[in-house]
Amino acid sequence: MPNDSDNAILKVTGLKTYFPVRGGLFSRTKDYVKAVDGVDLAVPRAGTLGLVGESGSGKTTVGRTILRLIRPTAGDVTFDGQDVLSLGQRELRVMRRRMQIIFQDPVGSLNPRMTVGDIIGEPLKVHAAMTRPQRRSEVGQLLERVGMSAIYASRYPHEFSGGQRQRIGIARALAPRPDFIVCDEPVSALDVSVQGQILNLLSDLQDELGLSYLFIAHNLAVVKHFAHQVAVMYLGKIVEVADRQTLYAKPIHPYTRALMSAVPRIEASHRPNRVHLSGEMPSPIHPPSGCAFYPRCPLTRERAKGMGKTDTHTIVTDIQVTSVVRQCTCQVPVLRGAPDNPAHRHACLLQ
Amino acid sequence: MSQAQATTQPIDVERRTGRSFWADARRRILRDKAAMICLAVIALYVLIALGGVAYDVVAGGSDAVPAFADTNDYDNANRDPSLEAPKYWLGTDWAGKSILFKVLLGAKTSLTVGFMANIIAVPLGMILGALAGYYGKWIDSVIVWVFSTLASIPGIILLISMRYAFKGITILGLDLTGIHGLYIVLGVISWIGTCRLVRAETMKIRELDYVLAGQAIGTPGFIILLRHVIPNVLHLGIINFSLGFVGAIKAEVILSYLGLGVAVGTPSWGSMINSARMDLVVGRWWELTAAVGAMFLLVLAMNIFGDRLRDALDPKLRNV
Repeated sequence: MPNDSDNAILKVTGLKTYFPVRGGLFSRTKDYVKAVDGVDLAVPRAGTLGLVGESGSGKTTVGRTILRLIRPTAGDVTFDGQDVLSLGQRELRVMRRRMQIIFQDPVGSLNPRMTVGDIIGEPLKVHAAMTRPQRRSEVGQLLERVGMSAIYASRYPHEFSGGQRQRIGIARALAPRPDFIVCDEPVSALDVSVQGQILNLLSDLQDELGLSYLFIAHNLAVVKHFAHQVAVMYLGKIVEVADRQTLYAKPIHPYTRALMSAVPRIEASHRPNRVHLSGEMPSPIHPPSGCAFYPRCPLTRERAKGMGKTDTHTIVTDIQVTSVVRQCTCQVPVLRGAPDNPAHRHACLLQ
Repeated sequence: MSQAQATTQPIDVERRTGRSFWADARRRILRDKAAMICLAVIALYVLIALGGVAYDVVAGGSDAVPAFADTNDYDNANRDPSLEAPKYWLGTDWAGKSILFKVLLGAKTSLTVGFMANIIAVPLGMILGALAGYYGKWIDSVIVWVFSTLASIPGIILLISMRYAFKGITILGLDLTGIHGLYIVLGVISWIGTCRLVRAETMKIRELDYVLAGQAIGTPGFIILLRHVIPNVLHLGIINFSLGFVGAIKAEVILSYLGLGVAVGTPSWGSMINSARMDLVVGRWWELTAAVGAMFLLVLAMNIFGDRLRDALDPKLRNV
């Protein structure tokens, strides 16, 4: 599978999306929520980049910023050699045909007042000069492509199950014949059995149509069978990125390891070194100094323990005494290649 | 044999067309007995009002000088209700006019005022609310500022001052001193509630994924507003229309009572209450009772119908 960045259909560099926090008199901007804080990504052509992280890590914002549904604060997004962020209204509309999105919530993503046919037909109305009968037959084909009967076109979203609605959402995304789709947790709201069906459908569509996906998930298990490349995100930053085999075989960053040990397994008894994460993700308004992960990092704690410091609180307050911990709290980590494999990049200062 | 065939007819599982939100709501309201009774009462009033229109046409009246104005009969002034002739069923007023006819003709005034005020107020409130809620920023600030300012002035004072301001002004051949001015005044002050509701609902809808999907597709902003936002707040407009009707009817009555409503001589329940207010002291209760009773029945029917309509239309109250 292609994984070098030259063969990427979409490249993101230094992307930052801050949301102003307003308050006080005359709604002055008091602070910023740093939802995305310097993200670099590359989505392989006809491949899938999985983007994984806890809720609140900024994954969804990355996806929406790429599609220009949200204005970024800084950074570049290049799609097929074209700078997406500097496009004018008209060029943007042309570009939108090629980039689509599938949403997490199967209820909120379909307008309850429109028939399925109208929902799927909307992109055709905007992008394709079609007569009404042409559009109708195209909608029918799209429905069949996602595994539904064409007669459902005249029904309303509330008459369908979650999985079926997600299929309708996929059909809508496919309608303008895109090259790239942001899948924003498309299976998180579904039953496990239905999850499998939807993932298979997405994977079949990728093979047939040569689609590229940015697949957002909060669960490494979902991404495991689906993505070619995986990026792990924490508090607005990428902490580790590698191709799938490498990442699952040899995770480097302690956060990735913690996410992996959170994947449920059947043979639960043989899990000697399970990593527990304590606490919650810190506020993206005032992220921790240095490595954003250090207050929860088991590795930092372990190292500190070796120096006679027992709990995280002592680490934070007694910072000056341990040089290792000082590194974590003071130095902002950047992605760097692992010694044995430069393509496997991580942002842990201690590894 | 034929009976057996009839019972084994297959049920049409694969219904071809789905049931839309509107079809669903219609079905629900049609099944609601109370709503249907109220609708029948309202329909009766509408028929009476249409009769009033026909009467004006036949008797050659106009908005300025209603045909009813010259039915004075001073010999039969202040008669008790009696069964002598239909026009005496509810008695007569100080000038000998039939109270029954007056009440019936008043329905026309009330219903037109209610309808016209809301046909101005509801679309105005919906459009402004949807614009404010969808676009936000300075558009929202301006609209919120306008309705906050309007809402901060006591309604009745606003009504009275606007009535005075309109005195003697004629626009497009419509004399704003009379009933046309009343429509506009009531319309202009009663869009605020609708606007607030629609604005809040639009702000909620704006964040929903189907609106984002529309943006991701590249649908132009005002088409998103028309196709995705307005249809999802339209039920609020309908509910407010039915509930606002009552408010406009009551406002007309109050203004006419204060002498600021319809022109003198136009039959209306408000001017009836006004002219009958001194009668009660001397025991002539029928004019007041007739006007209040007629208004009571209509307002009650409309309130209940509006309530039931909201239950049928508002998705939040569904399946409760």
